Amino acid sequence: MILRWWLSTSALLSSLTIVLVFGFLLQSSWPLIQQQGITFIIGDEWYPFESLYGMLPALVGTVWAVALALLIALPCGVAAAILCAELLPAQLRGAMRFSMELMAGVPSVVYGLLGMWVLLPLLESQLDLLTGRTLLAAGLLLALMILPTIMVLSEDAIRAVSQSQREAAKNLGIGWDAMLWRVLLPQAWPGIRVATLLATGRAMGETVAVMLVVGSIDRIPDPFYNFLQPAQTLTSRIGREMAEASIGSLHWAALLFCGLLLAIIAIGLSLLIQRKVVAA
Amino acid sequence: MSVLQQQYRNMLNRYTHGKALVLLLALPALLIPTMVLCYIFWQAAPVLDWNFLFGTADGIGFGVTEGIFSQLVGSLLLATMACLIATPFALGTALYYRTFATPWQQQLLSALFNMLQGIPPIVFGLCGLVVLVNLFSWGVSLLSGAVVLAVVVLPLLALNTLATLERIPNEYSEAGSALGLTKGAIILRLWLPRSWRQLLTGLLLAMARALSETAPIMFTATVFSGVVWPDSIFSPVTTLQTHIFYLAQEGNDPLLISIAWGSAAVLVLLVAFFALLARLLPKSGGN
Repeated sequence: MILRWWLSTSALLSSLTIVLVFGFLLQSSWPLIQQQGITFIIGDEWYPFESLYGMLPALVGTVWAVALALLIALPCGVAAAILCAELLPAQLRGAMRFSMELMAGVPSVVYGLLGMWVLLPLLESQLDLLTGRTLLAAGLLLALMILPTIMVLSEDAIRAVSQSQREAAKNLGIGWDAMLWRVLLPQAWPGIRVATLLATGRAMGETVAVMLVVGSIDRIPDPFYNFLQPAQTLTSRIGREMAEASIGSLHWAALLFCGLLLAIIAIGLSLLIQRKVVAA
Repeated sequence: MSVLQQQYRNMLNRYTHGKALVLLLALPALLIPTMVLCYIFWQAAPVLDWNFLFGTADGIGFGVTEGIFSQLVGSLLLATMACLIATPFALGTALYYRTFATPWQQQLLSALFNMLQGIPPIVFGLCGLVVLVNLFSWGVSLLSGAVVLAVVVLPLLALNTLATLERIPNEYSEAGSALGLTKGAIILRLWLPRSWRQLLTGLLLAMARALSETAPIMFTATVFSGVVWPDSIFSPVTTLQTHIFYLAQEGNDPLLISIAWGSAAVLVLLVAFFALLARLLPKSGGN
């Protein structure tokens, strides 16, 4: 009886967590929606002192940072996965996987420290910028942080391709490259896709490291593809301004709305991932 | 098949420098992890000694005193409390999934946990700030931070426990109930003896995860200075994570930056210690 009570209660509470999170976020950001409607989402000006809470700069910044990170980490990570799964001898493979796991374990604040004191000076001197705090810095740092996710999961996907497929390809006399492009990658694609989606979620939600290098300036890059400018992401805005906002103010509500946006996007991504898993 | 498609396929079939391309693209992934770790320890080497590890700030210093012992203890305390809070819920939910849940509930539970895992930790930090710190008036405290961190590691622990329990062959449980064992007895006498090692592994991984999170505890549990030891679960703490975070931004004093590197090295070692322990644990209680 006690057992049943314990199990049901913990199951109920654990599944209620997510509902509670959404409930409280919505409830606390409600004053803003009540007062300004929902149009502030596409507003491009964020000046808390003038009650302007446009979300667009941070949204664009987030999309840019994540896109840059994926653009760098995806080819690199998948190539490393192929190398690991297909070309390296077993001992080296183990060593490489181990180093990737170590890298995945490095806390994000340590990446932030690295970004601030290694990456920023490097960017400043190499690209001759006024400040290294740019979207590019955030993208590079995020790429480093999601590389292990992409590499480890892609390697699993590639190794899961059955040996008979490889042997069939060899018997047909097609070369290694053709086998890679026509057999391995298409077969491993669902796994690589899930890896990419997971990495996207991780990059989007990363706070501390991004906060230290992105510059935290609420402006849409001008022109919009200029990633050598300081910008702001949803997470860095929350991290920078949460301590300044007074409880219950509109500013506070706006920051909680940023959190709500993050949570909604995260749920969307996880639904995409799960649908793929069920289909596969 | 269109001409374009045919051309594309021909191009792929004729392409022969794949191995070189793969090696070239993978080069950063091969080199950077080692470089990153070496750089951290190279920077940290000048400050790392016993005084650094076991010295404490005198309570008024602005992080300038070189000891990080109270931060170390704060981090460990938060992570341990978070795991202690999360474990009964994770274990209970996973057992519920295996014993009482209908298929529909099972689907819902695993979907919810996967969603929970995808939500950025800072969102939980925000909720903790709204609910625990302000609504419950727990203040910025050890308890608030531990509960928030517990929510962060909960999906990890629960999914790991689920995967572990699913590896136990069904015949065992069926044989158990055929012998007239109650559900409680099956759990205690059959499942736990078979799976406690993997459960411990999951717990260690959750510790490593809790130790490496900064965003959720930034607003809910930590202050920069002024606290050496927490008096109760309602007092704020200092942690290694936030220590590094604040010191990283003190750009004009090289000493502070080197303390930040030292703390980073200690934190990396701590996380790696738990991750390695999880890895080295014997895998299964004999088959």
